Amino acid sequence: MNAPDRYERFVVPEGTKKVSYERDTKIVNAASFTIEREDHTIGNIVRMQLHRDPNVLFAGYKLPHPLQYKIIVRIHTTSQSSPTQAYTQAVNDLDKELEYLKQAFEVEKNRYEERAKQGF
Amino acid sequence: MDRPAAGSSYQRFPRVRIRELKDDYAKFELRDTDASIANALRRVMIAEVPTVAIDLVEIEVNSSVLNDEFIAHRLGLIPLTSAAAMQMRFSRDCDACDGDGSCEYCSVEFNLSARATDSDQTLEVTSNDLRSADPKVCPVDQARAYQLALSGNDYDPNAERGILIVKLRRGQELRLRAIARKGIGKDHAKWSPAATVTFMYEPDILINEELMDTLTFDEKRSWVESSPTKVFDLSANGKVTVCDAEAYTYDDEVIKKAEAMGKPGLVEINAKEDSFIFTVETTGAITAYELIMNAITVLRQKLDAIGLQDDDGDLGELGAHLGGP
Repeated sequence: MNAPDRYERFVVPEGTKKVSYERDTKIVNAASFTIEREDHTIGNIVRMQLHRDPNVLFAGYKLPHPLQYKIIVRIHTTSQSSPTQAYTQAVNDLDKELEYLKQAFEVEKNRYEERAKQGF
Repeated sequence: MDRPAAGSSYQRFPRVRIRELKDDYAKFELRDTDASIANALRRVMIAEVPTVAIDLVEIEVNSSVLNDEFIAHRLGLIPLTSAAAMQMRFSRDCDACDGDGSCEYCSVEFNLSARATDSDQTLEVTSNDLRSADPKVCPVDQARAYQLALSGNDYDPNAERGILIVKLRRGQELRLRAIARKGIGKDHAKWSPAATVTFMYEPDILINEELMDTLTFDEKRSWVESSPTKVFDLSANGKVTVCDAEAYTYDDEVIKKAEAMGKPGLVEINAKEDSFIFTVETTGAITAYELIMNAITVLRQKLDAIGLQDDDGDLGELGAHLGGP
């Protein structure tokens, strides 16, 4: 009867920003990013990619509640970098990695079909 | 502390090797990346790659034994060919129609009309009785039967049979209009193109040959047989080899057995943290290769959406005051 619409789980409501961030008031170079309508899929890859950056001192994400469809990514960096810079770099690197992976799949599919042809 | 300047890239370059690729099945190796990427791909394949499925049913006549919503649910679960789904619109953000799913960009109409005439046999109403308004989108069995007929291959009775919706007794009738829409598995599992998507870490098995030589043939045999799956092989001359490393289920049985025999360290088994073996099976709505490629595309779209915009932050006085870049 009063069940929320199923699409509320993945459609960002109007007037809400997909990403927003808030700096930590007590620690320099620390910030929390709130990403609306995302879950472990995005949270975990961003966190792991941030861990590859030596300027990142801390990176973690949480899904505050299973019925609040958002994640919070917290980043603390050295003074050589900044949370926004590290975040942007991580997202860009992941995007490039997937672009590379897509090409690798296309090449490998052709190679596989070549192998299959020679096998017969 | 020595740290590289900010702004350098930490991108990885994953490698892929396809072992097996069929229409609705794929097995491949993914290397030089980490579990988070492998898991993200798996999660996207299951829940976020779009397909088309029946979402709206208008029943005109239903005198069958199943009630209307039962039939509507069964219709929704029939996999429809969805190669075009990536290019389609979600009906909730379709401008051409008011989201009622009645335009060519976001929906496909189906009709079904069946009536059991006065024979003594029950009539089986299947997915083959669904008539699609768009030849690109139809139940997967119909598409397969059509493909088989085209190629002139031998007749496949399974492809012809279709998916059973309801059985009608003499005089019973079912007539309905259904609208199929684009959707994702997160919304409802009927939109999931994946039957199973799994990945495992590639095991690295190292036998301590020196210690192995101290075992008698019978000891070796009982050790080899202690593995629930056939991982090791014992040859007639008493040589123990790994015959199928991937059969290992990380059950630790052989390690416990070695300890029980008083030979700890007989074998060392590690999961390679950057090597994954994927198995992908689809419902037939899209091919396994399409599923993988679409998953990568969808994941990239998600990453593009979470990029920072200029006005995202709180660059207010307080933030500026506390110092930052």
